[in-house]
Amino acid sequence: MYYYLHMTERPDIDLRDAVNAVSDVVQNRPRPLREFDQIYMKTADMVLQSELVAHWADGKKLAFIGDGDSISVCVAYLKKRGIVGYGPSEITVFDFDERICGAITRFAERENLTQIQSQLYNCLDPFTWPSDFDCFYTNPPWGESNLGESVKVFVQRGLEATAYVGEGMVVIADDLELDWPKQVLANVQAFALQSGSFVQRMMPRLHAYHLDDNPSLRSCNLIFKSLPGGRPPGPSERITDASRLSHFYGRDCPPRVHYVREKMRLDYGKANENEYHFEPMRADNDDNH
Amino acid sequence: MTIIKRGQGLLYMKVGKHAQEPLEAIIARKRKEIEDAGYALWGYGGNTCHPMSMVQPFVRDFQRRGGVIYLCMEKMDSQNVAPQSRADEFSVDGIRWEKIPLPIKVVGSRYALAIKNLHSEDFRISLEKTRVAIGRSMGKPGNKYIAGRVDKACLECTEDMPAEPEESSGVHIDLVAEIVDPYAVFVRNLT
Repeated sequence: MYYYLHMTERPDIDLRDAVNAVSDVVQNRPRPLREFDQIYMKTADMVLQSELVAHWADGKKLAFIGDGDSISVCVAYLKKRGIVGYGPSEITVFDFDERICGAITRFAERENLTQIQSQLYNCLDPFTWPSDFDCFYTNPPWGESNLGESVKVFVQRGLEATAYVGEGMVVIADDLELDWPKQVLANVQAFALQSGSFVQRMMPRLHAYHLDDNPSLRSCNLIFKSLPGGRPPGPSERITDASRLSHFYGRDCPPRVHYVREKMRLDYGKANENEYHFEPMRADNDDNH
Repeated sequence: MTIIKRGQGLLYMKVGKHAQEPLEAIIARKRKEIEDAGYALWGYGGNTCHPMSMVQPFVRDFQRRGGVIYLCMEKMDSQNVAPQSRADEFSVDGIRWEKIPLPIKVVGSRYALAIKNLHSEDFRISLEKTRVAIGRSMGKPGNKYIAGRVDKACLECTEDMPAEPEESSGVHIDLVAEIVDPYAVFVRNLT
């Protein structure tokens, strides 16, 4: 079973192998926390998105500014398994959820993915790592209650990771009927332009999500590229401006958690013991159907 | 019933048997909780009315404008099979937890609305004259939103509704309560 990648020069990929690889990654992911807008992309769209990102960032150093979906791991794993012949040379995932960072580390160790690592990082803190990434990827809180301010924070950190001389792929809401996604798209594009980047490509309404209150809502890929001669406007600083934070995770929902800490379990990946108990087989069991 | 005016906020919810307890028994129990504790916690689940990201800011916003948010409930047949485990604690923010007062019993739920003045009603709401007031579906007409698996919503009325709409139009509201501070909370059991 092969999947033909329309309108590209990329070779076909074995769709069964690709879906099974992404299934391995999905199995490894922590459960989403809705209060932080952790809403996972549907698996078929993850397969196509991962292939796209692998090609877009081929041979490059890629920063993920948050990655609940685990697209980063899919990208690294597809290449490792030989399902695609391209992919980033190095991937670093920056996320404030230690469960996500831990899941990446465990999966990378198990599958010997040497080109991916994770860093616990809250995007409201200054970005203190070397700004030597070629490109960034982010699928941030979509900013329905703040006209995209939360998206802009993640994009800003991505631009800082690339020292304002790279490319970025931003995944945000895209809907034909609702007003707010259009306002957010316009504001994010304006912000990128002000920051010295232009929209190189927009891929509308690509991805579906496990979103029970609006399963038809899609997201798009917005791909930015920096203008020639880009440079950072100044050092990276903590974000404290109340106007950017007061509706960060939704109306009247400012950030109040610095990190999500993981409760370590020896039986990681297995059913949690508080979900079940064993009822012993009785000696007279044969008489009780 | 005078609550259905343009700009009015309401929380619509379908209700029925829950955790093997018939609706009439739940209503009687909640009225007793209001008598004894001054308010009741009405348990619910799902993500469409998340306490922190949806209900709390929705109610606060309307109260700032001087309004009251009513919980408008439509009775339905339900075979809800939620476990009968009783919640021990509640939290407004998911960080600080408090004991649920003894007279209040929340069963088989992850979230709960704080309510008082729970009473029977008999009127209809035209959902096409409402829109989703908050969240990722903000702006969507209520009748398009309340479909499939979605059975509750934070809505704003976009038009006045007649006191006696046509019999066939909209959804029938059988039960109404006033949503009171802290509006919506997380609940959990400790065992």
